[in-house]
Amino acid sequence: MSRRAVALAVAAAILFATPAWAGVDQVHLRLPLKPKLPLRGNERIALAPFILVTEADKARDKRLANVDLQAEFHRFLKKQLEKKTKFEVIETPADVKLPTQNLTELAKAQEFWASVGASTTAEIIVSGSLEFKIEDRSGYKSEEYVSPIDGRTYYRQVYVEQTGFLFDIVFLVLDGRTGEKLLQDEFKDFRQASKRSVDELQGLFENLFSLENQILNTFVARDREAERYIFTD
Amino acid sequence: MKQARIAVFLLLVAGACTSYSHTEKAGTQLAFGTNVAKKGLWREAAFRYEQAVTKEPNNARAHNNLAVALEANGDFARALAEYKRALELDPNNNYIRRNYARFAEFYTSYTKTTGKAAGAP
Repeated sequence: MSRRAVALAVAAAILFATPAWAGVDQVHLRLPLKPKLPLRGNERIALAPFILVTEADKARDKRLANVDLQAEFHRFLKKQLEKKTKFEVIETPADVKLPTQNLTELAKAQEFWASVGASTTAEIIVSGSLEFKIEDRSGYKSEEYVSPIDGRTYYRQVYVEQTGFLFDIVFLVLDGRTGEKLLQDEFKDFRQASKRSVDELQGLFENLFSLENQILNTFVARDREAERYIFTD
Repeated sequence: MKQARIAVFLLLVAGACTSYSHTEKAGTQLAFGTNVAKKGLWREAAFRYEQAVTKEPNNARAHNNLAVALEANGDFARALAEYKRALELDPNNNYIRRNYARFAEFYTSYTKTTGKAAGAP
């Protein structure tokens, strides 16, 4: 084969091989998430009490008695809304008591919510239910290990202790003027620590921080990070 | 001599036409789109990828890139359709499959919480 023929063959190989080598790049996206409620952004929002689903568990688990779920959640929500939105956040007066402990009925208590709206002059009212659980899990689990003596792989049983924190929030967003339900949404998070006796408040806030973006997305636009591949040619 | 000049002129015109059509090729649009996408100009990138898809409707890479650009612009419903088309055209492409899997995970939770896809009618 002449030199020219070899050169042509190489050139042709490069030319035809290009699609197989098609370049790929990884890009970083910030996905825009529209708010779930179409609001102006500067409304007056009242934070009403939430139904505490975990009240019954408090007697069984002493660690839950140390957590004032209502107060901690209110403080967290107020802080986040004030910091990351332009809403005017109003706390409902301490004497406001929920008319029922049933979430479905609470969502339908239109007259009650309209009266809360009138007394607080809030355009939007937030309520719902909160459930926080501490779950200890322990037991034997089989794991693989390589023997240092003969280098072979064996299975052995190991005792594992774990603490899990479950936070389930149901959000009820109500119209302060009519008392009508505008939105009902649920946020759930489970965190697991690889040891026992992890502080319960620490667990609670780990749950809350992981739900922060989702909670705020109810009212304002948020974004979420993602990685994708794009082809360069 | 005159005929030779005309021939050279015609060749030049033909060459110019060829190079013009070259810039309009799907690959060129794809490369340009990717270039601007890397700078975060996703609207321009989406426009370029749309052009690439129009030029080559069966180009899975163009459909994949268009899906990514639509996703970056928040047009999730259309992004889903483009990912599906890209996979249909090249089902064994691992990059497209990974993109689609990640998007599907996000989109499922997004539609679950918002009740409907953004940009959907």
